[in-house]
Amino acid sequence: MPKILLVEDNEMNRDMLSRRLERKGFEVMIAVDGRQGVEMAKADRYDLILMDMSLPEIDGWEATRQLRAESETQKVPIIALTAHAMAGDRERALEAGCDDYDTKPIELPRLLSKMESLLGAEG
Amino acid sequence: MSDHAGAAEKQMNSRGALARRQAALLRLSTAIAAAHDEDAIYSSVVTGLRDEALGYNFLGVFLLDPETGDRVLQASVGWPDVPPNWRVHRGEGLSEQALMDGKLHYTPDVTRESKYLPSLSTGSELDVPLRMDGQTIGVLVVESAEPDAFSEDDFEILTAAANQAAIAVGRARLLVAERLRADEHKALLDTMADLSAELELPRVLQAVLRRAVSLLGVTGGEVAIYEEESQELQVVASQNIGKESTGTRLKLGEGAMGSVARTHEPLIIPSYHEWLGRSTKYADVTVHSVMAAPLLIGQRLVGAIATVHSDPERVFGPEDLRLLNMFAPQAAIAIENARLYTAAQRQKQYFEEVLQNSPVAIVTLGRDYHIYSCNPAFERLFGYSSAEAVGRNLDELITTEASRTEAEQYTREALDHAVHGIGRRRRKDGTMVDVEVLGVPVIVDGERVGLMGLYHDITELLSARQEAEAANSAKSQFLASMSHELRTPLNAIIGYSEMLQEEVSDLGHAEFGTDLEKINTAGRHLLSLINNVLDLSKIEAGRMDLFLEEFDIGTMLDDVVTTARPLVDKNANRLEVRGAERLGRMHADLTKVRQMLLNLLSNACKFTEGGTITLDAQRRADEEPFDGEAIVLSVSDTGIGMTAEQMDRLFEAFSQAEASTTSKYGGTGLGLAITRRFCEMMGGDVSVQSAPGEGTTFTVRLPAMVAPSPAGATAK
Repeated sequence: MPKILLVEDNEMNRDMLSRRLERKGFEVMIAVDGRQGVEMAKADRYDLILMDMSLPEIDGWEATRQLRAESETQKVPIIALTAHAMAGDRERALEAGCDDYDTKPIELPRLLSKMESLLGAEG
Repeated sequence: MSDHAGAAEKQMNSRGALARRQAALLRLSTAIAAAHDEDAIYSSVVTGLRDEALGYNFLGVFLLDPETGDRVLQASVGWPDVPPNWRVHRGEGLSEQALMDGKLHYTPDVTRESKYLPSLSTGSELDVPLRMDGQTIGVLVVESAEPDAFSEDDFEILTAAANQAAIAVGRARLLVAERLRADEHKALLDTMADLSAELELPRVLQAVLRRAVSLLGVTGGEVAIYEEESQELQVVASQNIGKESTGTRLKLGEGAMGSVARTHEPLIIPSYHEWLGRSTKYADVTVHSVMAAPLLIGQRLVGAIATVHSDPERVFGPEDLRLLNMFAPQAAIAIENARLYTAAQRQKQYFEEVLQNSPVAIVTLGRDYHIYSCNPAFERLFGYSSAEAVGRNLDELITTEASRTEAEQYTREALDHAVHGIGRRRRKDGTMVDVEVLGVPVIVDGERVGLMGLYHDITELLSARQEAEAANSAKSQFLASMSHELRTPLNAIIGYSEMLQEEVSDLGHAEFGTDLEKINTAGRHLLSLINNVLDLSKIEAGRMDLFLEEFDIGTMLDDVVTTARPLVDKNANRLEVRGAERLGRMHADLTKVRQMLLNLLSNACKFTEGGTITLDAQRRADEEPFDGEAIVLSVSDTGIGMTAEQMDRLFEAFSQAEASTTSKYGGTGLGLAITRRFCEMMGGDVSVQSAPGEGTTFTVRLPAMVAPSPAGATAK
């Protein structure tokens, strides 16, 4: 069972996405801001991280850069979740070290296919 | 007295007589020398020669009137009851003989001559011709009360006297001619001096007229100016013509001046009353004869001049015309100069008026950039009076150290060509003012004499613009945050409804599925509206940026078609894609291209039922006005189409073709406005072709290689 870290500050988004992913057979751990996300990622091993970009404390881009700078988290696949119409967010996400990106609102099938391709490459 | 005795007495007297004769000649010479004019000479001749003892009792000088052949008495002594200028008509009297042959004639006993005029009781008569330059101009008549009174000695002495008189007359006439020429010369010089000293036309013409009247020796005259507009003459100067005529208007052909104005030829009228036809209208005219001349500049009539004699004895001759023609050009030039001056003056006044009343501050500079003049608006704007500003270097006067270099650059350029810009300038009190500046070179007769600066106070304009920008920015900010705030709960609605659909499906409660689907669809629609509003507000605020990347066109089209598929299917339409293969790659904003195509496809699907929607893509090498290759993407449908009026407002925000359309087909009317803005941002365009009932084709043209543009520059 793939172990996912979902870093998301919005409670409803967090709740929805985690429940839907769990129903699809993922183990989902939750972080509510960037700082907590980085701490949790360093403390435990995850197969994939879903990173919201607009986060309190430290934002998604900074969190990704910090994770990429650490040897133990350097290779963990990260999918950035960006708001629609915020063109430029995805470029910045890829620059910061994300492997892929998806836009909110989440289209589950689309997100799942992106996750699967990254998890497949990993495994 | 016996003959013998008479002869002896004569003999005896002959010595005394010789002395007397010489004395008479000396008297004559002395008197002539003192004479100043012809009349004085003639008087001198007769009075000087008179000597009773010599028998020179009655003396007269006649001059020939070449026109009539009459002899006119100039001076006489001893003749009683002779009127001045007494005329002896042709064929009368003894003295005519000397005039005819130029020789001395002696008549020892006049009573025996048939031609003798018996009014004079004389004995003998001697007629001596006055000869000048080979011509006989008159005759000196010497009569004695005694018959046979004169001898050879008298012939000799009187011939000498006549010669002296003729020489003196010749000299006097030369002097008069010379004096006349000098007078003419002086009159001309004076007139020219008047022309240059006096600018007021009536006074110039009055002066010209005064001199003409004086030189011609006429009673008076008039000068009139020709007005082209009314085709009338107006009398502006008059002198001694019996009534005050200044201001009188004459039509062409009316009166003497009207006649010459019409014919352009001078005219002499010997009897003005006859010429006028004895009309009662001119009953008050006291003039007898008139001479008039047109005033011409080249062939153009500018006025007329007339001189008059009120003395019936005086008539105008060719010499008078010559003199008048000397003054006519002077008067013509005066009128023309005045006209040109007035025109120039009026123009100058006109421009000065414009300058004085212009709300725009205007300053003129010499080539050295020092202020030559400035208008009241300049004084008001910068607080310097004209006196304070003139002579100062403009840029030193109204710029600060910080902006001087830039301002001086402007000024230098403006000497060469027009420059236009916006800047800040300093007032006298040190405050700053925002101005729009226009600088232009001032070129006179092809020479750059300086430049002109125009300053328009744009403080209010700028603050109004800043306010408008602030308001607009606030609006955009509001829309952006509103959209963002709306989106968060909306995402929950969409997300939870979708999740519930999955859950009820898993749990086998399919009956809830349709309602959940409706919630989800409505939520997605609302989201797309919000997204469009957000996009448009960003574009309007100039905050929509381009993110250019290279991508495969075919892949992009596949992606778009996949997304659009549910829309196509909804109204039972068919989608055809043409030309998608081998289109290669393009460099553009992928998200925006995709969004535009989805907008167009969504529209096509909305307004077409059971029809065909065609997505066509082409790469074109020579598409105007693109420099390089262009990608042309078109979306056609077989739907309801549009009228020309509907197409006009199509690309404006919040305008669907009709309000009724909105209620039937939904949508915000923002999609096309956004599409057009996106196209423009990428250096392309979008156009539409349609007719009611015949479907619609939207065509998007983009450069294959979109150039990066300054942020927001194309969005405004």
